[in-house]
Amino acid sequence: MSWAVAGRIARRELRGGLTGFRVFLACLILGVAAIAAVGSVREAIRAGLDREGATILGGDAELELTYRTATVEERAWMEAAATEVSEIIDFRSMAVFLTGGDTERGLTQVKAVDDAYPLLGEVTLDPAMPLEEALAGRDGLPGAVLEPLLADRLGMDLGDQFNLGRQAFVFTARLIREPDRATAGFGLGPRTILRSDALADSGLIQPGTLFETEYKLRLPDGADLDELEAEAEGSFTGVRWRDRRNGAPGVQEFVDRLSSFLVLVGLAGLAVGGVGISAAVRAYLDRKTEVIATLKTLGAETRTIFQTYALQIGALTVVGLAVGLALGAALPLLAAPLLESRLPVPAEFALHPRPLLEAALYGALAAAIFTLWPLARVEDVRAATLFRDGAGPARGWPRVFWIVVTLGLVGALTGLAAWLSGLWQLTFGAAGGLLGAFALLLLAAFGIRRLSRRLATARLFRGRSAARLALGAVGGPGSETGSVVLSLGLGLTVLAAVGQIDSNLRGAIARDLPEVAPAFFMVDIQPGQMEAFEAKLADNTAVTRVETAPMLRGIITKINGQPAAEVAGDHWVLSGDRGVTYSDRPVEGTKITHGTWWPEGYSGPPQVSFATEEALEMGLELGDEITINILGRDITAEITSFREVDFSTAGIGFILSMNPGALAGAPHSFIATVYADAEAEADILRDISNAFPNVTSIRVKDAIDRVSEVLAGIAAAITYGALATLITGGIVLIGAAAAGAHARTYEAAVLKTVGASKRTILQSFGLRSALLGAAAGGVAILAGALAGWGVMRFVMDVDYTFEPVSAGVIVLGGILATLIAGLIFAWGPLAARPARILRARE
Amino acid sequence: MTETILSLEGAELTLDGNAGPIEILKGITLNIARGETLGLVGPSGSGKSSLLMLMGGLERATGGRVKALDHDLTALGEDALARFRRAHMGVVFQSFHLIPTMTALENVATPLELAGVADAFDRAEDELQAVGLGARVHHYPAQMSGGEQQRVALARAAAPRPDILLADEPTGNLDAETGQAIMDLLFGLNEKHGSTLILVTHAPELADRCQRVVRLADGRISETVSQKAAAE
Repeated sequence: MSWAVAGRIARRELRGGLTGFRVFLACLILGVAAIAAVGSVREAIRAGLDREGATILGGDAELELTYRTATVEERAWMEAAATEVSEIIDFRSMAVFLTGGDTERGLTQVKAVDDAYPLLGEVTLDPAMPLEEALAGRDGLPGAVLEPLLADRLGMDLGDQFNLGRQAFVFTARLIREPDRATAGFGLGPRTILRSDALADSGLIQPGTLFETEYKLRLPDGADLDELEAEAEGSFTGVRWRDRRNGAPGVQEFVDRLSSFLVLVGLAGLAVGGVGISAAVRAYLDRKTEVIATLKTLGAETRTIFQTYALQIGALTVVGLAVGLALGAALPLLAAPLLESRLPVPAEFALHPRPLLEAALYGALAAAIFTLWPLARVEDVRAATLFRDGAGPARGWPRVFWIVVTLGLVGALTGLAAWLSGLWQLTFGAAGGLLGAFALLLLAAFGIRRLSRRLATARLFRGRSAARLALGAVGGPGSETGSVVLSLGLGLTVLAAVGQIDSNLRGAIARDLPEVAPAFFMVDIQPGQMEAFEAKLADNTAVTRVETAPMLRGIITKINGQPAAEVAGDHWVLSGDRGVTYSDRPVEGTKITHGTWWPEGYSGPPQVSFATEEALEMGLELGDEITINILGRDITAEITSFREVDFSTAGIGFILSMNPGALAGAPHSFIATVYADAEAEADILRDISNAFPNVTSIRVKDAIDRVSEVLAGIAAAITYGALATLITGGIVLIGAAAAGAHARTYEAAVLKTVGASKRTILQSFGLRSALLGAAAGGVAILAGALAGWGVMRFVMDVDYTFEPVSAGVIVLGGILATLIAGLIFAWGPLAARPARILRARE
Repeated sequence: MTETILSLEGAELTLDGNAGPIEILKGITLNIARGETLGLVGPSGSGKSSLLMLMGGLERATGGRVKALDHDLTALGEDALARFRRAHMGVVFQSFHLIPTMTALENVATPLELAGVADAFDRAEDELQAVGLGARVHHYPAQMSGGEQQRVALARAAAPRPDILLADEPTGNLDAETGQAIMDLLFGLNEKHGSTLILVTHAPELADRCQRVVRLADGRISETVSQKAAAE
C-alpha cells in the first residue's frame, strides 16, 4: 500500500524535471561507462584469445625445448601423437647490411621455420605473397622476411641482401603479421623469418648457442590434452608444454591484471562521483524540505516519504546505469576497428553481458552508498518546518540503522570488487585508502572551518573586508566547506595518486639504473673465440672493462628429490630456464654469506653456490640437493654456499654457479658485459660483428628503451583510465560551485545592500575558492603520495620516490579549477540587482 | 454538555536557540469544544503559531499535556501523529504550501490517497468544485493566483472531512476581497461539516467571526473573550 502511494507521489514529483540531477546522472554515467568499457575490452580480448587459442599458439599444442632440438625418439613421439608437426627455432642475432661503404647492424629475433609453418592462420606479407615463395629466395640466396621496423632501421629495400652470421639472405617481403605473434613474449629485436635449413652454413646454431625450439602440433580430434601433456612431461626432459586451452597465458594474465587495476581506478572515479551524487541528492532533498513537511502535515508517514524519494532516486539511478552501460558497451564497439589494429592479440568485440553486469552492480552499489545517507535525512524533516523559516533538516548523523546499512554496502562493494578483480590486497588497500582520504578530508574541512572562524574575527583582518568575508563564509554555519573540500580533495587524491604512479613508472628504469651501466651485453661467444674476443676488446682504448662468464641454461626440476614446485611453490626462479655458470674460484668481489666455496681444481660430486636472497625466499638450506636439467641431462648438485648477487648493477649475475667439473663436456657459450664510452659504441659493435659474425650484441641502451616503452605504455593506460576520474572530478566541482551559486547570489545582494563593492565581493569569492582548493590539495598530496607508494611498492614491486612536480601541478590545477568554477558561478550573483533578489526571498 | 475535542493542560514549548533555550509557550491551559470556532490573536512572537503547531501535533510540547479526541498527542511518535492528522485534522497555511509538481487535483487527492481512500480523485474533484475551482483542476500551483492556490489548500485540508481544521493566517498573503472569500469558505466548512476551526490571525474582523478569541502575550494566555458573551 505505502509503496503504491509513494510511487504515485514520486511520479508526480519527478515532473519537476531533472534539474539538479545533471551532476548526479553525469557522475553515475561516467563511472559506470568507464568500468563497463574497460570490462568490455578485457572480455573482448579474453574471447579473442579463447576463440583463437590454437591460432595464437600456432597449433593445438606446443612443446618448447631450450638449447636443443628434439631427439629422434622425441620427434617420433610427436609424429605419432600429432597429425602435423612444425619445428621453429627462435634465437637472437645480428642482421648486417652492407650499403655502399657503410655497414648497418641491427639486433633481430630470428624465427627459423620449416615447410609446415604456419600450421594455423596466415602470415601476412607486403607485397602480398605466400610465405613459401618469400622464403624460397632468389639468385641462389635464401629469402627472409623482416618486420618493417628492422628493414627501416637498416635502410634496406626489397631485394637487398643482408647477412646473419656467415649466411647471406635476400630481403623478399615485409612481415606485417604472424599468426602466433602473441605467444612470442617480450622480444628485444624486431622479427626476421627464414627457413631453418638456410642456417646450416651461417655458423649461428652451434653447441652452446642460446636458442629455443618450439614444436607446434596439430592433434587429431578428440585427443586428450591432459593425457598428452602428462606423457610429454614424463618422457621428455626439460620440456615445456602449452596447449590451445590457454594459448597465451602471459598475455591473458597481463590483460586481466591491467584491466582489474583500471577497474579499480574506475571505482575510485565512481567514489569521486559519489561525492557529487551525494551532494546532488542532498541539495534536491533540501529543496524538497517544504514538500516533505507538507506531506507530513497531510498525514504521510516517514516510511512513505522515504519510499517516495528512494523511488525517485532509484529511477534516476536506473536511468544513469542504463545510459552508462549503453555508452560503456558502445564505445569499445565503435573503437573496435582502431583497437583491433593496435592490439597485438585477437579481440572479439561484441556485446559482452558479464562486464556490463559487473559495472551495473558497481554503479548500483555506489549509488546506494552515496544516496542512502542524505535520503535518511528525510526522517529528520519535521512538519513544523513549514511554520518556522530556516528549520531545515538536521545536519547530524542519521540513525544507527542507516550507518550500519551504509557500512554494509561499502563492505559489499569492496568485497565484490576484490572477488571480481582477484586483487584482494590491492582492492582492500584502495578501499582503505579511499576511506582514509575521506576521513582526512573531513578532518581538514573541520580544521579549516574552525581556523577560518577564528581568523575572521581576528584583529589582523579588520579592515580587510574581502579576506574577512571569505574567512567568515568558509567558517560560517551552512557553508559549502565540507562538500567542496570532500569532492575536490577526493578527485585530486585520485589524480595525485595516478600522477605519482605514472611518473614513478616512467622513471623506474632511469632511476634504478646503476651509475655505470655496461654498454653491451654480448652473447653466444663460442669457447674457441674467447681469447681473440678478449684480445680485440683489450686493444680498444674506449673499452674500460669487460666481464665474461661461461653460460648454460637449465631448469631446476627437483629439490632434495621432490618436484621443485612442491617444495618452493611458484617462485620465479623455477619458472622456465635460468642461466647457469661455472667457476673454479668465486668471481672477484663475490661475497659468500653462508657456507664455503669448493676448493680450486675440485673434481668431486657436483656442488652449487646459490644466490642468497632467492635461496632464502625458496626456503633452501646448505646441504640441500637440487637437480638441474641442462640440455636434457639431469645434474644433481649439493648446495655448499650462498652468495650475494646484485642484479641492480646490470652486470653479470647468475642465480646458480657450479664447480667446473659438474658441467664438464656440456656444450656452452660465453656471455660478456662490455663497459665503454658512449661515443665508441658504434665502433665496438662494428669491430665485434665483423670479427665474430655469430656473436649477438645487445646495446643496453636499446634494451632499456624497449623496457621503458612497455612501462610507459602501462603508465599511459593508467592515465587514460584516470581520465574518467578527472572528468568526474570536474563535473563534481562545477556541480558544487553551481549549487553554491544560489546562496552566493543572496549573499552578494545583501553585501551590495550594505555597501560592498563588486570588487570586494569578487575578491572574497575568489579567496574563498582558493582557501578550499588549497585545503583539498594539501590532503590530496599526502593521500596521493601514500596511495602511489602503496601501488608501486606492493603492486608494481618498484621503489617509490615522491614526485613533487606532478603533485604540485595537480594541487595548483585543483586550486585553479575551484577558482575558475567559483568565479564563473559568481558572475551571475554579481550581476544580479539586489532588490529583486531580496524581494524574491521574502 | 458539549464534547471537548482538544485540550491543553499546562502546555509548554521550549526551543533550543543559538543563545540558549527560548521559552515560547508557558503553561497554556485551554479546552476547545467540538464544532467551536476559535481565534488565536496576539502580537508577533507571542506564540500563536507555535500553539497551533502544538494543537496539530506538528510540534511536541516540552511540558504539560495536549489531548485531541482522547489521544495524548505528547505521547505519540512522529508516524502515529501523521496517521492521527490524516484521520482527524486539516491544516491551512499562510503560504499555501501546495506541492508545485502536482496539479490542483493531485494536491487535493494526496491526503485522501495517503488515507487509503479508494475514490480519492473523484472526491478531490468534488472538493475543488465546492471551492469554485472546477475549471482549474488540472492546473499547477504556478499557473494559479494566490487566492486560487489558497482555495486549493482549503480543499486539500477539507477533503478528508477533518474533525479539526487548523488555519495559520490563511489570508495573510491575500488581498482583502480574496481574503474575505477564503474566510467565507473556511467558516462555511465549519458550518457545513461541523469541523472545529482554530484560526491564527492578525485581522480583528476575522477574529470577530469566531465564537471565542484567545489573546496571547509573551507565550501566555492574557485574555479569553467569548464573542457571544461580548455581544450580549
